[in-house]
Amino acid sequence: MAVLITLSLAGAGVGYRFSDDLQKLGRLQPKLYQSPTALFPHKCLHCKCFWQVPRCKNLTLKSRELPRLRLARAKEAEDSFTPNVSEDTDDMFDDMFEKYGKVVYSSNDRKSPSTELDDDAESLSFAVAMANVANDVKAGDIKVLFVKPLVYWTRFFIIATAFSRPQSDAIASRIRDMAEEKYGRVPSGDSKPNSWTLLDFGEYRSLTL
Amino acid sequence: MCIRIIGASNRRYAHIGDIIVAVIKEAVPNTPLERSEVVRAVIVRTCKELKRDNGMIIRYDDNAAVVIDQEGNPKGTRIFGAIARELRQLNFTKIVSLAPEVL
Repeated sequence: MAVLITLSLAGAGVGYRFSDDLQKLGRLQPKLYQSPTALFPHKCLHCKCFWQVPRCKNLTLKSRELPRLRLARAKEAEDSFTPNVSEDTDDMFDDMFEKYGKVVYSSNDRKSPSTELDDDAESLSFAVAMANVANDVKAGDIKVLFVKPLVYWTRFFIIATAFSRPQSDAIASRIRDMAEEKYGRVPSGDSKPNSWTLLDFGEYRSLTL
Repeated sequence: MCIRIIGASNRRYAHIGDIIVAVIKEAVPNTPLERSEVVRAVIVRTCKELKRDNGMIIRYDDNAAVVIDQEGNPKGTRIFGAIARELRQLNFTKIVSLAPEVL
């Protein structure tokens, strides 16, 4: 993940040169990564952003469509400093990987999609049950966050706010008891009362603040 | 500056996940931690390579540690930079959950 982010940022900085270099290497179809000047001779946006040609491979444009597309491209260039850039470059890297890449190593512990879905559903039900328990003890601002796409080590984050130290302890102990009784899971994490408590159930963790 | 590694008799070097006794050489003014204070810290990043069982080798650009209390909870509220997932197995779950990136 870290490598991906670094690459996408580098791509945003030196977008033109990167695509040109690839053209010189002959690894990309020149039609796909044609420079914007060639496509739109009337107006070229020289900004230091990564230029990505739309997905459609058919680049023969009618003159009637040009102004609309130009506007769309201008908007794209304006938006290029927003997080969309990383998404676009990620997609581009995915495409490049599909075309030219190969898998050298893959771990054996990868689950099938159906198993993943089942696990997600089970985790969600458990997370909601824990959130309900926190709600019973009058925790405030309860949030159940699905963080599986962002972090590897958990699926759900449950964040709850307690307004005093005893209440925080009560929430933690109630959640701990419920998880042990109904689901047979024992959390790791804090045992002593603290300013904030973390209960780590493996796939989901609850934070009491 | 590291003074001593906890849990080892006479070890010379600490690795990721080791708890050390350290002294604060430099501190931001008006913070609970002052200069020349002796604290406990856990190593989270090392320039020395960390080897995993699957053959992966991780090497960071700098050495870094997180100041902890006696129970292993971080004294601060923010963690900067990427940390290794080995810390989770060593029960530093709070540090892992606060970290912006876990490798």
